[in-house]
Amino acid sequence: MGKLDRFTPTSPLKRLVWTIGIVATAFMVMAPVYLLVKYSISDMESINTGGLPVPLWPYHPTFAVFSYLFTDPEFWQVVLNSLWIAIGTVLLSSLLGVPAAYVLARYKVPFRRAILIGIISVRLFPDISSVIPISVFFISLNLYSSFSGVILAHTLLALPYVIFIGMSAFEGIPRDIEEQAMTMGANQFQIFFRILLPIAIPGLAAAAIYTFLLSWDEFIFAHFLLDPGGKIQTLTLYLRSRITFQPPQNLLAAISVCLSLPVIIFSFAVQKYMISGMTAGSVK
Amino acid sequence: MSELIIKNIQKFYGDHKVIDKLDLQINSGEFVTLLGPSGCGKTTLLRMIAGLETIDGGELYIGGRKANNIPAQKRRIAMVFQSYALFPHMSVKNNIVFGLRIKGMELHDMFTRLDWVLPLLGLEGLENRLPREISGGQRQRVALARALVLDPDVLLLDEPLSNLDTALREMAMEELKRVHRQVGKTIIYVTHNQAEAMTMSERIAVMNAGHLEQYDTPGALYRHPRTMFSAEFIGSPSANFIPGTIEIKNGELVLNSEIGLLEIDETRKDYLRNFSGRSVVAGIRPQDIILSSTRTHRRASDSHVTLGVELIENHGDRSFVLGRFENGLPVRFMAANDSDYRTDARVEVLIDGRCIHLFDPETRQNILEK
Repeated sequence: MGKLDRFTPTSPLKRLVWTIGIVATAFMVMAPVYLLVKYSISDMESINTGGLPVPLWPYHPTFAVFSYLFTDPEFWQVVLNSLWIAIGTVLLSSLLGVPAAYVLARYKVPFRRAILIGIISVRLFPDISSVIPISVFFISLNLYSSFSGVILAHTLLALPYVIFIGMSAFEGIPRDIEEQAMTMGANQFQIFFRILLPIAIPGLAAAAIYTFLLSWDEFIFAHFLLDPGGKIQTLTLYLRSRITFQPPQNLLAAISVCLSLPVIIFSFAVQKYMISGMTAGSVK
Repeated sequence: MSELIIKNIQKFYGDHKVIDKLDLQINSGEFVTLLGPSGCGKTTLLRMIAGLETIDGGELYIGGRKANNIPAQKRRIAMVFQSYALFPHMSVKNNIVFGLRIKGMELHDMFTRLDWVLPLLGLEGLENRLPREISGGQRQRVALARALVLDPDVLLLDEPLSNLDTALREMAMEELKRVHRQVGKTIIYVTHNQAEAMTMSERIAVMNAGHLEQYDTPGALYRHPRTMFSAEFIGSPSANFIPGTIEIKNGELVLNSEIGLLEIDETRKDYLRNFSGRSVVAGIRPQDIILSSTRTHRRASDSHVTLGVELIENHGDRSFVLGRFENGLPVRFMAANDSDYRTDARVEVLIDGRCIHLFDPETRQNILEK
C-alpha cells in the first residue's frame, strides 16, 4: 500500500488549466462550509442588513447562538439521543455484520452471490423509496417512535458497508495465519477472537466510524419513524423543527456546525484507515 | 515413540489423484525431507500429516496413535509455514508463547520454555519487537522457535528457507541442523531444492506426481538412483541420459549407445548378460564425465568419446561445460579449471563404466538396483 501515484502536468498551459480546475473545485467545496461557519457566528445586524449586501465577514462576530444552544436542555437531549442511536447502530451493526463478513469471506456459503446482492440491495433504492415499506413494517412491529426502531433502521442502512468492508479486511489476512494458529492448538473461537479480529481491527474500525457518521446525520428514516411531537427527537430532526416561517439563520447554522463537527473530525482522523480498510485484501 | 508411519495414503481433489497410495516410515528423531518438483504432492502430504488436509484413504500413525481423524489442534505436531505466518499484531514473545497460552500452561513454565528457546535461536533482545520490525532471517527463527516451544512429537517444515537469500539460507541450514541435533525432534522438511535436502536430511523421500520415487539416505540416492527421475532430480547439474542397447560384440558385453560403444564394468557383466539385446537408457552424472587429458592411468572400464564444447560456466575451482556429442546429443559435465579446453574446441572425454546407471526405458527403473 504505497502513496497514490501522482503526476505533475508539464506544459505551462496544462498547469494553468489544472490550477484553475483545482481552485474552482476547492471553492465549490469550501464555500458552503464557509457560509455555514460565518452565519453561525453572525449577529442579527449582519444577517438582516435591510437591503444592503450581506457582508463577507460579520460586523460583530459572536458566539451568542452557541451559548444559547449550549444552555438549552432540549439541545443536549437531542444530542444525547443522536449519540445513543449512533452508538447503538454501531454496536448492533458490528455485532451482526462482523461475523457475517467473516463467514462470507472465509467459508463456502451456499448462494453466496445471491446473499451478497441481497445485502447490498437495501442500498440500491433511494432511502426515500425504501423508507415507506420499512416504516409500515416497523410500525406493525410496535417500533414506532422508539430508539430501537431507529437503531434497527440505521443498522439496516449500515450493514452493507460493515459487511463489505469487513469482508475485505478478513480476506486480506493470509489463510496460513489461521492454519498456523490451528496447528498450535487454537479452536475456531480462539482463532477468531485472538488472531483474526485484532488483525482486522483497522478495517472494522473504519466501518464502525462510517456507521456512526451515517447514523449521526441520518434524517429520512428518523423523520418517518419518530413522532414529530414525541419525546424522542434526533439532532437532524431538531434542526428541521427550527426551520419555521422566518428561520433564524444563525441558529440553524450553529446547529449544522454542531452536526458537522464530529463528521469532519472523524473523517480527518480515520482517513488513513478508511482507505486502507477498503483496499485491504486487494493489495498484497 | 514419536515415529511416523504412513500407510497406503491417498488424496484426491475431485477426480484428480494428488497422492496415490504412498507408504513412508519415519523413525523417531529422524530428519526426513520430502523432495520433489512443485505439484508433486509433497506439501499436500505434509498438510495431511499436520491435519490441515483430510486423508482420503490409507492410514497415518503419529507416535503409535492412528491420527487420520485427530484434528490439527490435537495432533502434537508443530508446523512452520513457508510464509512463516507470524501473527502481525503480536510481539515476538507473544508469538512464541501463543500456543502455550492456548494450552493453558502455567506462567512460570511458559517463561522457562521461553528462556530455553530464545538463546537456542539467538532471539534474545527481540522479545518485544513486532514481526514487521525484524529481518527476514529473524522472522524465520521466530517461526521455528514458535514451533519448538510446543515440544511437538513431529516438527513439520514447509520450505522454511525459500524466502531467504543465499547467504542467510546457508546460515539457516546450519542452524536447523544444529537445532535438530540439540533437540532430537522428528523433523519432516519439505523442499524442491535438492541441495538443501542433501545437506540437511538423514533420509530423503523423492516424490514425483503423487508417488514416492525413492526413499533413501542422501549418499545412496546419489550413488544408487532407483529411477530415472531420482537420477535427474538428485545431483547438480542433473544427469545425462543416453539411449542404447546391451549387446555382445566380439564376444564382449558392451553398451551400444547413440554416442558409440561404451564399456561395461567386469563386475556387472554376469548380471547384465541376461539383458543382452534389451534397450536401456544410460544415466551418467556430469561429475563422472572426465576430460581424458586429466587422467593419467587407464582402466579397462573406461570408454573414450569426443564431443564439442559449446558453453563454459565458470564456478571458480571448476567449470560446468555444456557440449554436444558427435551425433548431436547434448551433454553436461564438470571439468577442472586448470585443464585445457575452450568454447568450440573438440575434446576427448572418458566415461567410467562403473559410474553408468542403466534404466529400463519403459519402466524408467534402474535395472542394476533391485
